[in-house]
Amino acid sequence: MSLATDFNRGIWKENAVFKLLLGLCPVLAVTTSAENGLGMGLATAFVLVCSNAVVALFRHLIPAKVRIPCFILIIASFVTVVQLVMEAYAYDLFQALGIFIPLIVCNCLILGRAEAFASKHPVSHAVADGLGMGAGFTLVLFILGGIRELFGAGEFLGFSIFGAGYQPVILMILPPGAFITLGLLLALMNKVEKR
Amino acid sequence: MKEFSRLIIALTLIAAIAGGILAAVESMTREPIAEQRRLQMLRALSAVLPEFDNSPDSDTTTIVTGSDRQGREVETVFYRGRKEEQLVGTAFRVVAPDGYSGNIAVMVGIRPDHSVHAIEILTHAETPGLGDKISEPWYKALFVDKALDSNDWRVKKDGGEFDQLTGATISARAVVGAVRTGLELYREHEDKIIAQGVTNEPGN
Repeated sequence: MSLATDFNRGIWKENAVFKLLLGLCPVLAVTTSAENGLGMGLATAFVLVCSNAVVALFRHLIPAKVRIPCFILIIASFVTVVQLVMEAYAYDLFQALGIFIPLIVCNCLILGRAEAFASKHPVSHAVADGLGMGAGFTLVLFILGGIRELFGAGEFLGFSIFGAGYQPVILMILPPGAFITLGLLLALMNKVEKR
Repeated sequence: MKEFSRLIIALTLIAAIAGGILAAVESMTREPIAEQRRLQMLRALSAVLPEFDNSPDSDTTTIVTGSDRQGREVETVFYRGRKEEQLVGTAFRVVAPDGYSGNIAVMVGIRPDHSVHAIEILTHAETPGLGDKISEPWYKALFVDKALDSNDWRVKKDGGEFDQLTGATISARAVVGAVRTGLELYREHEDKIIAQGVTNEPGN
C-alpha cells in the first residue's frame, strides 16, 4: 500500500464522520459556524497526526497490555499542547471552542486510529493516515459549520450572504440543527455512493 | 514478575516524557496567555469605564462582599479608573446565577455619582438568537445613565421599565438583577472602594 492510499482513505472511503460515524460529539457541538468547524477540525487533525506519529514510533516498545493507557497519555499530552498554544496565540477561537478543546482527548477517532492503524504501521504511513483522516474530519466540520452558519445566521465565514433583510433560521445553530444537517448530508452521501 | 516491571517502566517512561514536554510548552506559553487574559480584561474595562488615564487593572481593591452557600467569603475585585488622579468610575464583575442556561457574568462600570456608565457581558451561554441578545450593543445601552433610586429595576413584564427581550424574559431579568446587585454593592461598600491605596497585586 502506498502513502497516497493511506491518505486518501480518510478523505472519502473511510471518512471518520460520513462513513464510520466517529467523533460525533465535537461534530455536532461546535459546528455553529464555518470558522469554528475549521478551527476544531484543524486542532483535531493536529492531535491525530502527532499521536499517530508517536504511537507508530514507539509501537515496538509499548507493551500490548498497557497500550491503551499509553495511547491516552500521548493523546492527552498533545491535546494539552494544542490548548495552551491556542489560548496563547488564538484567544478568540479558544474562547469559541471552549470546553471542546480538552474534550478532543475522548474523540474516539484519535484513539481508534492509534489502535487500529498507527500501532501496526511504520511512522510514514501512520502520518499519511493521520493527515488523511484529519483532512476528512476537518472537511466535514467545515461543510457542516458552513451550512449551519449560512442558514442560521445568513453569513459565511462572518460575511453577510443574504443581506440584512434575511430572517435567520435559529433552529440551524441550535443543537437540533446539527442533527438535521448531518442527517441530510449522510443521506446525500449515500445517494451519491449508490450511483 | 519480569513482564510486570516492564509494564511499569514503559508507562512511567511515557508519563515522564509527556510531563517534560508539557512543562516546556507551559513555560513557553505562560507569558502570552497571561497577556491575552490581561488584554481581555482591559478591553472590558475600557468598554465600561469613562475615559481614564491610569491602568485600572493595577489600581484595584478587593473587598469581601458576601458569602456563598457554604458560608465561604466571596470577594469582589473593584477596578478603579482615574483621570488626572480623579476617580472617574469603578468597574467590577457581577455574576447572575439565574440565567436561562448557566451563569451570566456582567462587568458593570459605575460613576462616582452612583449611575451606570456602561455594562459589558463577559460570559454567557444563553440561547443563540433569543437570550444572546443581551450582549448586543442596543441592549447594553439600555443601562447607561440608570441609577438605583431614579429607575425601576425590573423588566416591563414585572412592572419595571427594562425591555425583557421577546422569548428571553429570563435572560433579561437575570441581567437587570445583576446590574441592580452591582449598584447595591457599590452603595454598600463605597467608602472602602474609593479609599486610596491598592490592596492587592496587579492582575490578581
